[in-house]
Amino acid sequence: MMKYLRLYKAFMIASLKADLEYRMNFVSRIVTDIFWYVAQIVTFEALFLHTDKLGSWNLAQTRVFLGLLFVVDAFYMIMLSENLDKMSDRVRKGEMDLLLAKPVNSQFMMSLQRANTAIFGNLVMGLAWLIWSLSQLPDFSWPRLFWLIVLVPCGLIALYGIRFMISATAVIFTRSENLQYMWYQLYRLGMRPDSIYAPWLKFLVVTLLPVGLIASVPSRFLLGPPDLGAFALAVFVAGAFLWMSQRFWKYALTFYTSASS
Amino acid sequence: MLTNLEYRLNFLTDAVLQPAVTSMIEVTLWFALFAGAGVAEINGFGLNAYLAYAIWSAFMARLTSTWMYEFRMAEEIDSGSINSLLTRPFSFFEYYMSQFMGYKTITTVVSLLVPLLTCWIFDLTIIWDRLLPALALVFYYLLVVQTLSFIVATLAFYLNRIHALTVAKNMGLWLLSGELVPLDLFPEGIKNALTWLPFANAVYIPVGYMTGRFGPDLFLRGWITATYGLIFFGLLAVLSWKRGVARYAGTGA
Repeated sequence: MMKYLRLYKAFMIASLKADLEYRMNFVSRIVTDIFWYVAQIVTFEALFLHTDKLGSWNLAQTRVFLGLLFVVDAFYMIMLSENLDKMSDRVRKGEMDLLLAKPVNSQFMMSLQRANTAIFGNLVMGLAWLIWSLSQLPDFSWPRLFWLIVLVPCGLIALYGIRFMISATAVIFTRSENLQYMWYQLYRLGMRPDSIYAPWLKFLVVTLLPVGLIASVPSRFLLGPPDLGAFALAVFVAGAFLWMSQRFWKYALTFYTSASS
Repeated sequence: MLTNLEYRLNFLTDAVLQPAVTSMIEVTLWFALFAGAGVAEINGFGLNAYLAYAIWSAFMARLTSTWMYEFRMAEEIDSGSINSLLTRPFSFFEYYMSQFMGYKTITTVVSLLVPLLTCWIFDLTIIWDRLLPALALVFYYLLVVQTLSFIVATLAFYLNRIHALTVAKNMGLWLLSGELVPLDLFPEGIKNALTWLPFANAVYIPVGYMTGRFGPDLFLRGWITATYGLIFFGLLAVLSWKRGVARYAGTGA
């Protein structure tokens, strides 16, 4: 475990140096995410111009949901996004050979080798939005934030699990960019509060397609009394998706034919 | 087109699976939004109108997405593999534009079934006479958006990494095209300003026209904005390409 933590620290430092090398890219990554934040905020602000409630949440509560979405997404973007986005490319170019030959877990290498350090700025913005939105709630109890210590990593792990499996299809099918693009469509289900969904869909987005764990479930713990059943489910789903991603990776590797050689 | 069909799963995902999933998600979202809001109409339009908009906007947005070709063009420049194209008797722009238009034509024919079937199943409002003119506008707009992608790709001559610019551009288009929310949900002034930009031709103008959200006036505006968009981005593309090639060392390949 310590070996992997040290390795990840080394990846972070190397990524920061590489990111600073391309300063224009560094800045544009931050700008990109600002666009994304603005798009999300504008969407909900526009919808709330025409209604008082979406599902069971009002505008102030939906802003909290958005804050959590921004924070979890920032963590995802920093740690995982670039690695998983480029997996298809790396497979096609045969870059995986070198990784598979290394004396470390290949899934770890494929998932965490590159960190996107420019997104730290976005994490700060996301946190600022979350704190501001929480401060707008008249009856918010700040100790509720402790729930996030477990729930945010759960959301992140579940998100990682499903995204990794989709990316790993590149090993089987060689070219699967469109499958990756489809992931972003599914991800949109997590970008809306699950309180607007019918019960069956709500269940689906916290279990089989766990995009609801990203922000909806943690938001419920901030906005209302804790639901221990939901808490246990979140932990279980995150663990299950992590396990499934490992199994799927091993299965996908049986199809790998080393494109470079 | 043949190159793309070589990877059949990728093609089927793009042409069938992706629009089907997107349509399903959009329908679910709008059903949920209306049920959650507990109202019969939002801004003068009922659930049926929003479902029709959502279904066709998912189709049009997928049709006008250029990210795949933009990445490929940028990669050619970045890696130096563009050298082999520079020596051919047609331009890099023409090469990719023809690939792009061919691919979009075939995927449109295949994936058009998804919104048509959805409209039939849910009995959604659509003015059939306006379908072909709306598709014609979208195909005209494809020239604009592919030219814009070409400009972004040519930035690879000047910058080492342009991936983030592609994503930033897509995010901007996502909002400005009306894919995220119909532009008529914005205050009137903002909506009016956005319809004077060519980007509304990706989704809002063609979809709004064929679903009866507005009449021919705004549709005509779409052709005008697409034309000046094409001229503007076309000139920018020529400039960016000429300057880029002039400084290109061609050592990558």
